[in-house]
Amino acid sequence: MKRSKLSTSVAALTRRSVLATGAAALAMPALTGRGFAQEAVNVGVIVPLSGANAQFGINSRNGIQLVADEINANGGIKSMGGAQINLVIADATSNPTQAATVAQRMMSQDNVVAVLGAFASSLTLAISEVTERRGVPLLTMSFSDQITDRGFQNVFQIVSPGSQIGAATFDFTRALAQEAGQTLEKIAIMYEDTAYGTSQSAGLRKAAQDAGIEVVMDEAYPLGITDVSPLINQLRRSDAQVVFPVSYLNDSLLIVRSMRQQGINIPTIGGAAGYIIPDFREGLGDLADNVLSISPAAYDQAPDYTERFREKFGYFMVHEAQEHAACMGCLHSALEAAGSADHAAIREQLQNSVFDQGWATVMSGGKVEFDEMGRNIHASPLMVQWRGGELVTVYPKEYATGEVVWNS
Amino acid sequence: MQSITTFFQTLIDGVLIGGVYAVISIGLSLVFGVMHIVNFAHAEFLMLGMFIAWFAWAYAGIDPMLGAFIALIITFFIGMGMQRVLIKPIIGAPQVAQIFLTVGLLFAMENGALLLFGADFRSVSTSYQTQALTLFSGESGRILVPLDKLYAFLMALLSGASLWFFLNRTSWGRAMRATSQDPMAAKLMGINTDKMYMIAFGLGVGTTAFGGAVILPYITASPTVGSQFVVLMFTAVVLGGLGSVAGAVVGGIMVGLIQSFSALILPIQLQNLTLFVIFILVLALKPEGLTARRRS
Amino acid sequence: MTRFFYPSLAVVAVTVMSLLPLTLDPQGYEIRILCIAMLFAALGQAWNIVGGLANQISLGHAAYFGIGAYTSTILLRLFSLSPWLGGILGMVLAVLFALLLSVPTVRLKGHYFALATLGAGEAMRVIANSWASVTGGPVGISVPYSRESSLWMMQFPTVLPNYYLFLIALVIICLVFWKIQTGALGFRLRAIKENEQAAEVIGVDTYRAKLIASTVSAAITAFMGTLYAQFQFFFDPDTVFGVATISVKMALIAILGGVGTLLGPLLGAAFIIPMEEFANSYFGASVAGLSQFAYGVILVVIILINPRGLVALIGQIKNRIFSKGGSQ
Repeated sequence: MKRSKLSTSVAALTRRSVLATGAAALAMPALTGRGFAQEAVNVGVIVPLSGANAQFGINSRNGIQLVADEINANGGIKSMGGAQINLVIADATSNPTQAATVAQRMMSQDNVVAVLGAFASSLTLAISEVTERRGVPLLTMSFSDQITDRGFQNVFQIVSPGSQIGAATFDFTRALAQEAGQTLEKIAIMYEDTAYGTSQSAGLRKAAQDAGIEVVMDEAYPLGITDVSPLINQLRRSDAQVVFPVSYLNDSLLIVRSMRQQGINIPTIGGAAGYIIPDFREGLGDLADNVLSISPAAYDQAPDYTERFREKFGYFMVHEAQEHAACMGCLHSALEAAGSADHAAIREQLQNSVFDQGWATVMSGGKVEFDEMGRNIHASPLMVQWRGGELVTVYPKEYATGEVVWNS
Repeated sequence: MQSITTFFQTLIDGVLIGGVYAVISIGLSLVFGVMHIVNFAHAEFLMLGMFIAWFAWAYAGIDPMLGAFIALIITFFIGMGMQRVLIKPIIGAPQVAQIFLTVGLLFAMENGALLLFGADFRSVSTSYQTQALTLFSGESGRILVPLDKLYAFLMALLSGASLWFFLNRTSWGRAMRATSQDPMAAKLMGINTDKMYMIAFGLGVGTTAFGGAVILPYITASPTVGSQFVVLMFTAVVLGGLGSVAGAVVGGIMVGLIQSFSALILPIQLQNLTLFVIFILVLALKPEGLTARRRS
Repeated sequence: MTRFFYPSLAVVAVTVMSLLPLTLDPQGYEIRILCIAMLFAALGQAWNIVGGLANQISLGHAAYFGIGAYTSTILLRLFSLSPWLGGILGMVLAVLFALLLSVPTVRLKGHYFALATLGAGEAMRVIANSWASVTGGPVGISVPYSRESSLWMMQFPTVLPNYYLFLIALVIICLVFWKIQTGALGFRLRAIKENEQAAEVIGVDTYRAKLIASTVSAAITAFMGTLYAQFQFFFDPDTVFGVATISVKMALIAILGGVGTLLGPLLGAAFIIPMEEFANSYFGASVAGLSQFAYGVILVVIILINPRGLVALIGQIKNRIFSKGGSQ
């Protein structure tokens, strides 16, 4: 599955044009949908469509759009007389104040039955303050612990919280090393000082300490770092056996390249985000091979569903698209069961149902079920590894679709 | 102790990245020196340069080190046009208007890039990206020079030297300096100051775009990449003295060194805090910059 | 007649603004937009005291805003302290920070002052990010959600009380600005704006005048930070210490409206906030980046048409109409 430079850029091009036509098509139902207000069910989608997270917002929107289109093509929501799903999509920007205002607008003007979003934890937290006060269900794939530990009753988190993802990153790595006959004694952590980086690395650090493993390097660095040399120099001196970088794309490329420059070939276990998107592979080429990463979901777990995404958009179903699609899937089932657009009724269904139908099954374990806090009790992070242009799940064993390659 | 190798490695890293800061800051300083306008949108031209070099690489297989020249030429003309339409009307306007025109331009350019190029992250792959020269290798560690940063540094030196030559050894350069010192007198001497302003702005954004292109092997291009550099650029320019081209070079290398040495003593997270504190202190104690000579 | 015209206009405006929300959904979208517009009008007015009257163009006011938001929220979380008291403490801290910052910056002018304050705001953001044990770090901080309504704790079931808090704050800040503008301090600050050296020659203590102006401005900005925290309930360092989201925006609102004038920030906020909302709701979803792009373009166009802002622009239009009528 090697892709040459030329075909890579062609792929990127088609992907762009697909996005453009997708965006144009999007505007249509939004306009026509309002004509049949009593028919359609409005679902709010708030994702960053501008700023540094725009790409992830667009991926998320694509995932949700795919599911909504499928529901509509199959006759809409049957318990509501075949009502169509009308997505009300808005740009969350990168500003939490704006994101909360958008949520308010959707609830007041579009009368949305629920809100999906908003990728970045800071945006989701701001939105949740508004949705909670009006009792509107919010489904999210943001993984900050804070989202579900404030005792809110209307927020549902489909992925494991950040601290668990961090802990799993360490536990899975140790298990993989053990299988390969290596005993971990010294590890290095480097993370960007954002909400995502700090909360995930906190879980990782704690798991390592609980296991009595020495963290020989533990360094936060500012977002948008232009030169990672100080980090890599420190890593070289630290004598770590494995390194856990938690970062977005630019830093992840910088870190992996600089490590190769300095001849450091220890196993690299990324912290999702920048490590599990097609651009990582495009940026690094073959260097990406065998890089490991934690991921809150993986497309190889449910190829029947996720391949439809690839067919439509031309790239594999990235995790944020998959998780947002699962959110939409759960909401669909909840709407079918509730049979009404009433917020409380939908919330009841989200709280008390087991979602094991349709797109909800793309999450690990093939089902979704929310506990009192709004956390998905079946969610399990997965360890994935780059193999050619694809991601392969290698751990835990019950989810693995391939064998791990471990270079100690 | 590995302290000697660590010290030299830190020094080399600081100088190499500092050279790049220098070349992207030269343009900002030139624009201020000639037009007395602080261009907050300047880092967006770095982004533009990166995208031009990326497209040249992706569709024509041109290495970013050569693509940098294409970026320079294209942004030079874009800059001239922008000066004519946007900057010229506000020369001599209140400072608040100048500042916020360029802030508006920043928003428009960043999001215009998102509209035009999409939100994808663009990165090149070249053979030298993962190679490094080993300067020293021994008991106490190794000293490495990463090739991508070395090339970017050499290209930065080249562009800085060319600009210096242009300003000091050509008649246009002299005319430009005359315009910056006293536009009225320059006009009386028969210099077309409007043209000089256009060329200065074009060159200013062009060199920054050039600097953006040469760092493409190790920085990913995206519409928001400018924001990573904007504060660094201003710090470099202020440390060296606003408006001084030579000062921008010194300032850029100082910023690189401060960042890399700060990481030895303090957590890396605080590298920019060190920078800001030095920045404010320099402004307070010597606002004309560290390299300024006393004027007679 | 003119003696009573503007005061009565102000009374009418305040009356309209106090009655307006009674016609709106108290948890709705419109009222939230009005709250944000008043928040930014107040921030623009606070900025106007130093930026407008003395022409000290600060790009670091987010430092004060963030100090206010964080101080009251941290104290509320740790000791259940009322945000009113926390807000006052925030004002004190902001004043101290303004005094500290004035040591290196008070002698700076123009671009140099702007850049130094920009650096100061960014430094505060880095500190809030790194000092996680106190601020919660980059993850952000939440005001605990209370289902009970309490004025003392500034927690309400609807946005309506927040609306009145913002309105009262805005009125007070406008009065403060007007008092300074028309008083002795205002004359001193304008003298500094015109020519600082000449002002010193005629005996103005420029240092003291600038210091008073910047501490008043800092204190007001900090208290607005507290009001914001109790309205938004969640924020992170990038939001409250943001260059684009706070520092530049509050200056922008004053400048676009008309720098140094009482009406400027009000007009600026009444224009920019709804415009942003309009752009976001109509272009935000269809094409990524279009709304922010339009925002930037409109800014550039307004400054190109009249660098002195909307107040001047309106004056220009008014003059044209009157001079036409007069000359014929």
